[in-house]
Amino acid sequence: MTNERPAAPRAWAFSSFGIRHSAFLFLLCPFFLHADPPRPTLPPEQRTNGKHTLAAVEKLKPLTIACAARIESPLGRTICTATIVGEDGYVLIKASEVPELHKTRVKFSDGRTADLREVHRETRLDLVLAQAVGITGLRAVSFGAARPLTMGQWLCSVADAGTETRIGIVSAKFRRIPGTGAALGIRMDEKAAKDGKGVRIVGIASESPAETAGLQEDDVLITIAGEKVAEFRRVHDLVNKRQPGEIIDIRYLRKDKEESCRVRLASRTKVLQNWEGEDFANGGISLRSDNFPEVLQHDIPLLPTDMGGPVATLEGKVVGINIARVDRVTTFALPVEAFWTEAQLWIKADRHPPKAVPAQ
Amino acid sequence: MVLLLAGRANAAEQRQSLDKAPKTDIEALLKIQNDVQKLLPTVRPALVAIQTGGGTASGVIISAEGLLLTAAHVPNGPGKDMMVILEDGTVTTAKSLGLDKTTDAALAKLKDRGKPWPFVNLSREVAKAQPGEWCFALGHPGGFDKARGPVLRVGKIVKQTANSLHSDCVLMGGDSGGPLFNFNGEVIGIHSQIWEGRDQNVHVSMAPFLRSWEAMQKSQVIKTWGMGAGGYLGVATVMSDDLELAVADVIDGSPALKAGICAGDVILSVNGDDMTDQQQFSATVRARAAGDTLKLKLRTHGKERDVSVQLEQKPQEEGQ
Repeated sequence: MTNERPAAPRAWAFSSFGIRHSAFLFLLCPFFLHADPPRPTLPPEQRTNGKHTLAAVEKLKPLTIACAARIESPLGRTICTATIVGEDGYVLIKASEVPELHKTRVKFSDGRTADLREVHRETRLDLVLAQAVGITGLRAVSFGAARPLTMGQWLCSVADAGTETRIGIVSAKFRRIPGTGAALGIRMDEKAAKDGKGVRIVGIASESPAETAGLQEDDVLITIAGEKVAEFRRVHDLVNKRQPGEIIDIRYLRKDKEESCRVRLASRTKVLQNWEGEDFANGGISLRSDNFPEVLQHDIPLLPTDMGGPVATLEGKVVGINIARVDRVTTFALPVEAFWTEAQLWIKADRHPPKAVPAQ
Repeated sequence: MVLLLAGRANAAEQRQSLDKAPKTDIEALLKIQNDVQKLLPTVRPALVAIQTGGGTASGVIISAEGLLLTAAHVPNGPGKDMMVILEDGTVTTAKSLGLDKTTDAALAKLKDRGKPWPFVNLSREVAKAQPGEWCFALGHPGGFDKARGPVLRVGKIVKQTANSLHSDCVLMGGDSGGPLFNFNGEVIGIHSQIWEGRDQNVHVSMAPFLRSWEAMQKSQVIKTWGMGAGGYLGVATVMSDDLELAVADVIDGSPALKAGICAGDVILSVNGDDMTDQQQFSATVRARAAGDTLKLKLRTHGKERDVSVQLEQKPQEEGQ
């Protein structure tokens, strides 16, 4: 038997720290279990992200929420958030959330919606520059430097599909996040399946792309993205070299009947760390959560659908774009220095395409 | 060591003060930011990452001699060797001393290094950590990561109980044992556990550390229930399906057992005060010293009865 996970997975956390040992928890703090606690509890509105506290950043909304937009499916489901970078409809979006950008549309805070035209896809940064077709008069973000910010600096982000604000702080050092490729979240049988056709799945990781797509133990993989597979190493190679967020077609046998599914791949690092679902995050994590040239880490409570939105200082200067919800305590943003010089060139090239040279 | 117990402030008075809490403005937030950023360089060196066979966790140094606070579920026993990593990546070892398994408090000692350790003070004014107060958390969520360094969270205290603080500083695995600070840079909590909600992050308060300090320094393990600084009854309680306070278990040899208290008894009142929940009951027991007599009104199989119990000294089990 072999698998996608390392031979000796690192014990990542104390399981008793989580929510599993209910007996232990019961003795420690039975107070959650009973109504009407006698001790005062801080009302939700007075907590760090309660409405009383958030009133402080209300006046920043024109500089943050007005510069964000919602990316949605044709049926109106929120896919992710976008940051407006040109008044003539240019937006930046988290690339791995929109592998099929032509199937999405953008909705602005003034209620206007538009189709999107993909201008430039930069996998290294996990960003797509797109233009909302036929839209002008938008408010573009005003960028400020991110790198001078240090731990403890307040930030605010656009949340809830671009309608709300949340606050938090720079919570760790700026750094590069290495990547380890993409994964399905399966363990495979080393032996070829019967009559040499296909590779049998012997284990599925919790909350993994394979689980989401409905793959099960004992399914036999026959083709991966159109290529026939007979060996587990080939499956690994075909998957690993792709990008998290990418969609691949898989054909497989279940009880000798041929079936197919589409799987959206995720970052391998996260799939391996979260094999048993130990690393739960409130509201889920992003499919791509690694392989970034530089990140600003913050503790603003956000959802994967909030990624792509702007993150600003309390002076209203946008210092980055949220790029990955990683776990319960971690969100990464791309600092402005990591993408803006480049993105301006993409916009410029698109606004002023080189003129065709007349034939002699 | 002075024993300081969490005071039980008047609930109505506290609610009133919560209602009067001034609205936060940007200036108030910036003051928080400046204070945290000023304190960070002094408190960060006292944070450590801990590795045991069971996983990764955190801890905080609270004396120049290298005494370390962490959560009891980290060493999970006295005399355990643990690998300790300082912020700069230096690796050393620590041995666990005593622990209080009922509250998740534990004490450990770093290996002597011939010079003082960087340390922070712990707050002895346990009752001051009230809901609404700002606080900040440090730890190594997910384990030590040199490129990332320690992870900071800033938030508010949501609740104070007899032995714990709840905050909206979001924690996860690996944070266990790490410090929660007040704005004097003193430790007010040790990260212990999380519930599913983002605002359900539980820290051991300083109360159990201060109360059991001497026992923990002697590497003793505290595993008893319903005990106080002096008075000890020896029952574990549970809220029944009818939301009544019931006896879940009676400890062998305890005053409760001698007085004929049985598992399943419903506790109606103590010294004439109606008992409605577990916290109120344990606070009532704790408030009395060994030798004091408690008059309990119980209901056993539908019949009410009165029982007098003389509290004893809390037993302290020697190391495992």
